[in-house]
Amino acid sequence: MELVIALGMNGIVWGLIIALIALGLSIIFGLLDIINIAHGDFFMVGTVLAWFVLDTTGNYWLAFLIVPIIGFAMGVVIEYTVIQPIKNAAALSIVATFGLSIILQEGVRATFGAAPTRLVPPIQSTIQMFGLEYEVYRLFAAAVSIAAILLFFGFLHRTKMGTWMRAVRYDPETATAMGIPARKIYMITFALGFAMAALGGVVAAPITTVDFQAGVDILPFCFMAVIIGGLGNLEGTVAAAVMLAFFEGVMASFADPTIARIGSLCLMSIVLLIRPHGIFAGATR
Amino acid sequence: MTPDKINRLGIVAVALFTLLAPWILPVFVDEFWVDIYSEMLIWSLLAASVNLLFGYVGLLSFGQALFFGMGMYGVAIGIAKIGLGFWPAFGFGILLSTTMALITGFLAVRLTWHYFAIITVVFSLIFYFTALSWKPLTGGDDGLSFTMPPIFSFGEETAISLTDPTVQYYFIVLMVGACYALMGVVLKSPLGRAFRTVKENDMRAALIGLNVYMIRLTAFVIAGFVAGVAGALFAFFGRYASATYMFYHVSGEAVVWAIIGGAGTLLGPVVGTTLLITLREELSDVWEHYLIVVGVIVIVVVIFAPKGLGGLWMGMVNRIFDKSANGNQPKEGGE
Repeated sequence: MELVIALGMNGIVWGLIIALIALGLSIIFGLLDIINIAHGDFFMVGTVLAWFVLDTTGNYWLAFLIVPIIGFAMGVVIEYTVIQPIKNAAALSIVATFGLSIILQEGVRATFGAAPTRLVPPIQSTIQMFGLEYEVYRLFAAAVSIAAILLFFGFLHRTKMGTWMRAVRYDPETATAMGIPARKIYMITFALGFAMAALGGVVAAPITTVDFQAGVDILPFCFMAVIIGGLGNLEGTVAAAVMLAFFEGVMASFADPTIARIGSLCLMSIVLLIRPHGIFAGATR
Repeated sequence: MTPDKINRLGIVAVALFTLLAPWILPVFVDEFWVDIYSEMLIWSLLAASVNLLFGYVGLLSFGQALFFGMGMYGVAIGIAKIGLGFWPAFGFGILLSTTMALITGFLAVRLTWHYFAIITVVFSLIFYFTALSWKPLTGGDDGLSFTMPPIFSFGEETAISLTDPTVQYYFIVLMVGACYALMGVVLKSPLGRAFRTVKENDMRAALIGLNVYMIRLTAFVIAGFVAGVAGALFAFFGRYASATYMFYHVSGEAVVWAIIGGAGTLLGPVVGTTLLITLREELSDVWEHYLIVVGVIVIVVVIFAPKGLGGLWMGMVNRIFDKSANGNQPKEGGE
């Protein structure tokens, strides 16, 4: 029973981190119609940058501040050089971001190295809860993820920029006609998506390993959260990510982790198939 | 000369080169390029299966590696575990992948676009993890190797087997060629026209009485068959099967090859695969992190040739003939 609780809680924590990353994917997907194969690598770059910050300054807390900013800057550059020239062509975006993914992975392998590294969590104490010793850092990671997700929704619904983003997604032509700088919004959205994935990387780095291939494992999971939550339904993405990770965590407590993964994949395909076509806008094309 | 004739000439040139490659390649480059070329042919088949779905029916599959892997495991399990001969194992691999395509396609083609791409990834991941964890049958991470049975044996002494490099090369050429011929025939047939109609506008296709679901399913099964043949050939080529080749990254690479080469053209996947594998072979000796260069090239091609290299070529040919022969309607896309 203790194992079920521990792994279930791990699942929720992990799901919240995934939710943060998947939200970034979802806004890029929803607003720019870009299927971002490199999104997992944005997360991976976040973990590696966190490692570098810890390595040079000796202070992990700085990473929470610096890494999202670096991620945002990288996002601006990538949007300008790669995404803008192929705007709105979803099939091409897959190929272009695949190229991007290769560059990021190989770039990290060339600088950081190929060997996976573990980071020591900045908080090492444990706390007694539900009859088990639980790592405080994981609770902290969950708190940071929740805070970032809430901040994002606040930004989307309470600020001018967020309103513009929603307007551009709803109807780009009308939004442009009304004077909203759509191109700038695209750029900010993409950069924000990168920053969120990078922040997810900083939060997750002490719980997982820092590895140039980390993005490959996480990417399908993020996509599934986005699709199962409903395209364009950001709250749905968060809910789907947490539910999927929780389910997988509980499964993993009485089955092999790979079997748990297969189980959650089967669940996803069932959800995908029984959900009637018409529920999502843009399902047929 | 018309653009059509130019294209036919291109196909003939590629076919001639392929037939003579064991003599041509050693003259200009090293002999091992014959092996690399046969590997390219096999991979191009996987890209072609993506292209058949995406370029002609408009379905972007991110799970073709599943059928590749099924073909691979069919051969390896058939020989190593069941003890089948060459042809039965080959048939078993293809049967396995085609059946898998029928079952998964039955569910998957109910969805389109993003949803189709995701469901194909999900299906391929399910079987990837299954293959990883089912160690007694698949060998898991280590893969499953086998010793090559002969293709034909006459008595004890004489046997034709793929252990002879020449036999192996021409066996691969024959099988790959047969698959391309099959795809060529299908695409020329009324069914091929139906494919393109569904791609252009599935609503209209349904309204003029086409069974869109069946057409998509047919295309999916043919694509699965082609990917299965590629997988079976690759198992023979490497004498082993491994779950690594079922991961979604392999599917992704096939998509990239197909789109870089030019989706919707028969030879596009060959061009894309050849280009990217040649790059890999040439650059990997020069720089350890050559993949960065590959990534840059992929992005540059997509930005400057959105229809792929095949599309770029077709555009050039059409423009030349547009100028020289007025009134001669250039054809859209290649055959």
